[in-house]
Amino acid sequence: MGLRDYYKQFEEESPEETSARLRAQAEARRRSALARVETLDLSTLAWPHLPPAAVVNAVTFVARRGLHRPPDPAAGELRSEIAHRVGVPERRVVVGNGAAQLLTAAAGALLEPGDELVTAWPSYPLFPLLASRTGARAVPAPGFGVETVLRAVGERTRVVALANPNDPTGEWLDEGRLAELLEALPERVVVLLDEALVEYAPRAATALVDRFPRLIAVRTFSKAWGLAGLRVGYAVGGPDSEPLLERLAPPGGVNELAQAGALEALRAIADVVDRRVAQVAAERQRLTGELERLGVAVAPSAANLLWISASGVDGAELASRLERSKVLVASGGRFGDDAHVRVAVQDRAAGDRLLDALSAVL
Amino acid sequence: MRTDPTDTGGLFTGRRPGTAPVRYRTTPQRGSSQRQRVDGFLALLVAGVMALINLLFWGPAPAAALWVAAHISDDGRNIFLAIVAGFALCLAVLMGGLVVLKRLDALWILLRRAAGHDQRKGIVGPMFAVCAVVGGVGFTIWLVFIAGLGSSAMPASG
Repeated sequence: MGLRDYYKQFEEESPEETSARLRAQAEARRRSALARVETLDLSTLAWPHLPPAAVVNAVTFVARRGLHRPPDPAAGELRSEIAHRVGVPERRVVVGNGAAQLLTAAAGALLEPGDELVTAWPSYPLFPLLASRTGARAVPAPGFGVETVLRAVGERTRVVALANPNDPTGEWLDEGRLAELLEALPERVVVLLDEALVEYAPRAATALVDRFPRLIAVRTFSKAWGLAGLRVGYAVGGPDSEPLLERLAPPGGVNELAQAGALEALRAIADVVDRRVAQVAAERQRLTGELERLGVAVAPSAANLLWISASGVDGAELASRLERSKVLVASGGRFGDDAHVRVAVQDRAAGDRLLDALSAVL
Repeated sequence: MRTDPTDTGGLFTGRRPGTAPVRYRTTPQRGSSQRQRVDGFLALLVAGVMALINLLFWGPAPAAALWVAAHISDDGRNIFLAIVAGFALCLAVLMGGLVVLKRLDALWILLRRAAGHDQRKGIVGPMFAVCAVVGGVGFTIWLVFIAGLGSSAMPASG
């Protein structure tokens, strides 16, 4: 190093040089951020976007008003609003910490060791667990039909658990078919109807609750309502179901934030949910057509999901390939069908990402 | 009243103005300790030269300007030209000196850094102020006690 270069190295950057260097670094960071592809999660059926501000404000208001106060253990105001909307007396509604808690409590109240719980299969993986946790036995009925379920019902059957629309297949039983099932079931059997995705279905089975006292319909605010973080759901029972419903309520009730959020959602964002449902229905129809054009088998669906399979690729492999393309889907293995994967239907952008990824991996 | 520019109420962390670290283009490779000592001596030498140049403004440079002006005045016939030339020369020396001082100051900073010091600022400002005080005091002493306040063109009466 020459004498001049030796001393030149002790010169500091001019402000212009520093600014230019920092600008270049910021530009490089921005380029890198734009080039990064976020993982698209289509493995969960919860609404993927932020809740409306009205709901967040209601929760915030309650939080600021004072979390030192105990909540209303009976969630009276929320129950009243739900009862009004569903069209049943308030005493036949119970609010719980999500549909899973209510289903678990119902199974605990109804099943004894040695009893049987019949469920269509593949279906919600919680149903077999409900049986095993109480010492009962889960009896899977292959497919999603009234006849298969009835065939699986035996002497020790105490509960039939059905998701309608069915998760993960998206199949749906209309009121007529459900009534057929309920009429054919023995007197001792209670039907736990998981209507977590019912907002996406053509109709709810609310009217049947009045006709069939042994029907308990369970719903949630986690899916179409987009409030999965609040963990709040409710169950509606038939006439004289009050003693059973009381046993489903969580000890101490549902927390006050969840009550406030769910109440505000019912009052303020019903139209938002309607728009989501319409958006999902349109996107589901488009995706079904596009997927079939790609050679993917798609089951008819009445929910925000598609149950798909590709020839020559099992569900786990397909899910793994899609994951490498930054698209997460639920492998069918956890639902009892290794050949399929369940993909959530969201919006057009998500659908296009899924189609691009599938085109690349198949 | 807020007097500390870094006191933002705890919202942001900040740094006092003028305390930013020196940003080099590349990390400098310093020489041996002997070379650093030489650089330290050279920095001292440059500071000495800067002091001399600063002191020039308070005696030698004005005297030189007066000497030139006296030659231009040509026994009182070109007084105006002599005054203009004297002032111009004085200003030229001052400005030229400052330019040289600025360059020497930059060189002094480099030498100090090469000598191993975390030198962030130069000394041209403080040195100019100190030399102004020294030169001003020296000039006053010379004027009052050595040369006297009387003018040779218009001597005091008596």
